[in-house]
Amino acid sequence: MPGKMAPSRPRRWPWAATLLAVIAAAVAVVWIPIWTLRPFVPQSAAAMARAYALLRAAPAATLVALAAAAALAWRLWGSTRWPGRLLLAAALVPVGAAAWMARQNLFERLFPPLVRTGFASPAAATAFVDPGDMVLAIQVQGDAAAFPVRQIAFHHVVEEEVGGTPVAVTY
Amino acid sequence: MGGRRLTLHLAGINNQNFVMRDDETGSWWQQSTGEAFAGPLRGSRLRLVFADEVAFAIWRREHPAGRVLRPDASPAWRTWSADWEAKTGRMPVVAGVPGADGRGPLPPRALVLGLEQGGAARAYPIAALAGQGVIQDDLGGLPVVILVGEDGRSLRAFESAFDGRRVPFFAKLDGSPAATATAPPRLWVDGTSGSEWDFQGQAVAGPWQGRRLRPLPAMKDYWFDWRIYHPRTTVYAAGRDGGASR
Repeated sequence: MPGKMAPSRPRRWPWAATLLAVIAAAVAVVWIPIWTLRPFVPQSAAAMARAYALLRAAPAATLVALAAAAALAWRLWGSTRWPGRLLLAAALVPVGAAAWMARQNLFERLFPPLVRTGFASPAAATAFVDPGDMVLAIQVQGDAAAFPVRQIAFHHVVEEEVGGTPVAVTY
Repeated sequence: MGGRRLTLHLAGINNQNFVMRDDETGSWWQQSTGEAFAGPLRGSRLRLVFADEVAFAIWRREHPAGRVLRPDASPAWRTWSADWEAKTGRMPVVAGVPGADGRGPLPPRALVLGLEQGGAARAYPIAALAGQGVIQDDLGGLPVVILVGEDGRSLRAFESAFDGRRVPFFAKLDGSPAATATAPPRLWVDGTSGSEWDFQGQAVAGPWQGRRLRPLPAMKDYWFDWRIYHPRTTVYAAGRDGGASR
């Protein structure tokens, strides 16, 4: 075995370099949109278009990257001793993390959506709305619904049907 | 949208205005305009459903049989929203947006009621409206009246014309009680027929009893955000002749 390692050594670096490139690409695909969509920095139309394209591609692209990284690590595994093998295993962690992140919605983690909407009568609602609290009021076909601003400002988007019309209430 | 129901999720931010994404096509929608600016539905615009922002006490009086959204079981919304208006009002504004340097006609985070009519847009500073009972203006060739509810914060805009004639409105401030959500309902009188009008824009007494004013969509917004989506907006300045603006 040690005898076989020596001749294969010069041919290992292209595989290692490719592995590093795959890791960098997977992280970049996830990181660039997050960086673009920071709340208190300006966003240009071009940056938004790029962020959108990357977010769309990220779920599939990171899976491909994970498969490629695993194949590359497997290719290098046989010719690597144990400390190096730990490094190979560790190399899969950022790619796996990128694949996971590509499936998360950070904005909904911060402001969880209201999954099941329920309603109360105006009398019962006094338990959670003060008289001076503002509400967003919608009336369609005789169906009058009030959406307390304190709730909508937190969830940001609440979906409901009012008088047969699907509405997205947003604040 | 085109007969298809879209499910919208909070998905991003664009110069401090939120971005929503629909599950069905993955398009990105700008909160302020309802327009898709990226994805397969790019260029489409969601239809604005008329909504107004009023105090719960006023809404409850007007809609005793209505329904109120029940809060999330998780208390996160309650903690977060306890002082959200003050918190958000202190947040920084993106550098580079018009007015962010404070040199515009209003501070970036001044709250305004934004109206759009006949291609014209105007921002009405809410702080200036709160002390009044009624504001009359002309916007894009349309006579407009803004009524201020008894809480001093609830605002509604209407077209103030009947049969092509501009109708002046006056607030009926009997004893003018302090503005609170539990104050008695305010009434207005028009200068043409002398009829009495309620906050819903309906004549409740007088020769025009039963008539209704046409409500106009209005959006409460921060000045900087309104300015981004309405670059040619003017600002209402109270006290000037004819509701002048700059």
